[in-house]
Amino acid sequence: MKFWGVRLASILGAVAFCFLLEGVAQGQSSFVQRLFVLAGLYVTLAVSLNLINGITGQFSIGHAAFYQVGAYTAGFCASRFFAQLNLPPAAWLLLMMITSAITAGLAGLLVGLPSLRLKGDYLAIVTLGFGEIIRIFAQNQEALGGAYGLTVAPKIQYVWAAWLLAILCIAVCRNLLRTAHGLPFLAVREDEIASSAMGVNVTQTKVVAFVLGSMFAGAAGAILAHFESFVSPPMFTMDVSFTIVTMVVLGGTGSITGSVLAAILLFYLPEKMRDFTNIPLSGVAAAFVAISAAVFAIRWVMQNFHGSAKDRAIRYLGIVVGALVIWFISKALLGNVPSLKENIDGSKLRMVVFSVTLVVLMLLRPQGMLGHHEFSWDWVRSKFGKPTIKEATA
Amino acid sequence: MTVLPDLLAGLEFSTLPQQLVNGILLGAIYALIALGYTMVYGVLKLINFAHGEVFMLGAYTALFTSWSFGFTQAGSRQDSSPGILIAMLIVSMTVCGFVGVLIERFAYRPMRSQPRIASLITAIGISLLLQYGGQLFLPSSPPPSISDKVNPFKGNIEIPLKPADSALLAQAEQLKAKVTSTKAAYDEQLKSEKDSFNLSPVGKELRTASQDAERDYRNAIDKANKDALVITLPQGQVIMLVTTVVLMIILTWLVMKTTAGRAMRAASLDFDAASLMGINVNTVIAFTFFIGSALAGAGAMMNASFLGGTKIDTFFGMLPGVKAFVAAVLGGIGNIPGAVLGGILMGLAETMVIWAGYGNYKDAIAFIVLIVVLLVKPGGLLGSNKVEKV
Repeated sequence: MKFWGVRLASILGAVAFCFLLEGVAQGQSSFVQRLFVLAGLYVTLAVSLNLINGITGQFSIGHAAFYQVGAYTAGFCASRFFAQLNLPPAAWLLLMMITSAITAGLAGLLVGLPSLRLKGDYLAIVTLGFGEIIRIFAQNQEALGGAYGLTVAPKIQYVWAAWLLAILCIAVCRNLLRTAHGLPFLAVREDEIASSAMGVNVTQTKVVAFVLGSMFAGAAGAILAHFESFVSPPMFTMDVSFTIVTMVVLGGTGSITGSVLAAILLFYLPEKMRDFTNIPLSGVAAAFVAISAAVFAIRWVMQNFHGSAKDRAIRYLGIVVGALVIWFISKALLGNVPSLKENIDGSKLRMVVFSVTLVVLMLLRPQGMLGHHEFSWDWVRSKFGKPTIKEATA
Repeated sequence: MTVLPDLLAGLEFSTLPQQLVNGILLGAIYALIALGYTMVYGVLKLINFAHGEVFMLGAYTALFTSWSFGFTQAGSRQDSSPGILIAMLIVSMTVCGFVGVLIERFAYRPMRSQPRIASLITAIGISLLLQYGGQLFLPSSPPPSISDKVNPFKGNIEIPLKPADSALLAQAEQLKAKVTSTKAAYDEQLKSEKDSFNLSPVGKELRTASQDAERDYRNAIDKANKDALVITLPQGQVIMLVTTVVLMIILTWLVMKTTAGRAMRAASLDFDAASLMGINVNTVIAFTFFIGSALAGAGAMMNASFLGGTKIDTFFGMLPGVKAFVAAVLGGIGNIPGAVLGGILMGLAETMVIWAGYGNYKDAIAFIVLIVVLLVKPGGLLGSNKVEKV
């Protein structure tokens, strides 16, 4: 009984959370509402890509393709069938999410099948290529609106839909990992050959991961299409794929909590940076110098010095202070260079921040923010010096 | 089964030889870039995603060098000489070589002990950083291009394969006579009516006759030209091809005959054993990156300065990079002759797609080829199909 009680409570809690967000967003401007929805979509995308990249270990960098397939499916159907079916918006959105999930799942099957023979960097390139093929195809199909894109007829802007999908995606991935069905995914990630020797159907596992991951991306695409009421090929370029990959890598490949946190962080940061206009270029250049100096100093310290936590904290603090000093000095020096006298907008730094995040993360902490760790109440309890739930009940 | 005849009917076979030649010229550039991918992969087993960006930086270096010689966008300087081109080539190659070495030293070397996927993510990160970070510091909007005054070789080399049908030519000649006569009559009429604002009906008739004659002549000469098979080669592109071949010969000599080349081959065969045999693996890798990047720089310089008005922006290297990577895989990654073969095949495939009337899909063909190759023959055409042992 207790099991069902907890389960019911968490489901109700999740639904309540979604409608709470809806309530918060309703009072805000349309820009803020857009942020809420897109953040939810990015959480879905990051967690679903994490299922492929982190949990199953199949490095895919073309997730925008499935997002696009979903969005175009919804756009295509909306322009043809919405008027005939005469459904309420919520039911229509649900129907479209399911349809888009199915088409994106089929696309995932198409990519999953070659993945049986490829691994590592080759698979990455193929998924990237697949994303580009889909985009170029949509760009050249008159039925799909060509380069101009499709206008999606009913504009359905539910914040709760995006977050409900995100929570569903998180729940599916978490429950998958908690049950015996998820063990093959982890086994395939750790060692394909060993797991196939232990009787895991490697092929099936990989394909299921691909299909499941792309289905969620497809459903997210359906929400996007109806939210923006417009889809066009430039919305799904490689940048989007790389953004999602950065989220997964930053969060820690394999950690669902990490993906969620990184998705929200990396989605919010560039939006926040739009507020900063007139950033001097010399400051950006100086930041490059300071960051590279700090990264290599930290690497050097990590490799050559060991000691108590306090010692390390002091060293890292020293490095940060040193980096700031370097930043100030180089900014002053570079300020005299004529070509660096311009000012730029913060929005231009979006992808620069992502790329720097990727490189710095790989150099300092390749396993990502959280590594394989997940958020759990046990961890919270242990922070307060209390025994874990298992120990307490035993 | 009507698809195939329909497809064939849409093809213009008289332009095929020209397109094949264009494909080889394009493929030479892809081959130069593909060599960098294949050499790095051979030694490090790493796909150097940032290689396309090295290519982009090579194009920018060539641009800045041409500016320093006075070929600015204002077009102040008119004369050029082969010496300037050689200087641009050498500067581009050197700068790219050092950029490649720096990327290896600061991004890839620390990653060598990590799983391969970590190096791949670093490579993607570096590639994005050069694309978007470069956008901040390099002139990119509006995209600049190297002044076409740099290229002193403007002429075309024409290779006639088959002369035009003489009957068609004679017909065109007849029509030409008619054109001159009607035109003369119309001009006479114009002169006589110089003072009036509107043409008289006679004048209008003469004008129509003259225009009709000219149109007939144009049609006839077009028909005759289409019948003739002439391959037109811009001199600049021929020089590009010759330079590429020379660079490849130098590369073959470097790899096959020198000590450094032997060390490179040893490291590519077995990295650990090579280091046990006293080969300084770090030097070998740096050398490999230098050579590979310098070749990309050469390709970029030639691409940007011989194909007049090529627009350079920071994404300039992305598509050539991807296509060259596909070329390297197609030929068998890690295999140097394979990269050249793959590059030329990729160039041919791309021009064939354009020739068949699917120009919109010319960027997708690379990925389609890649997927097909990886599924059918993952080792590539000249590579070995190694089975992974447990």
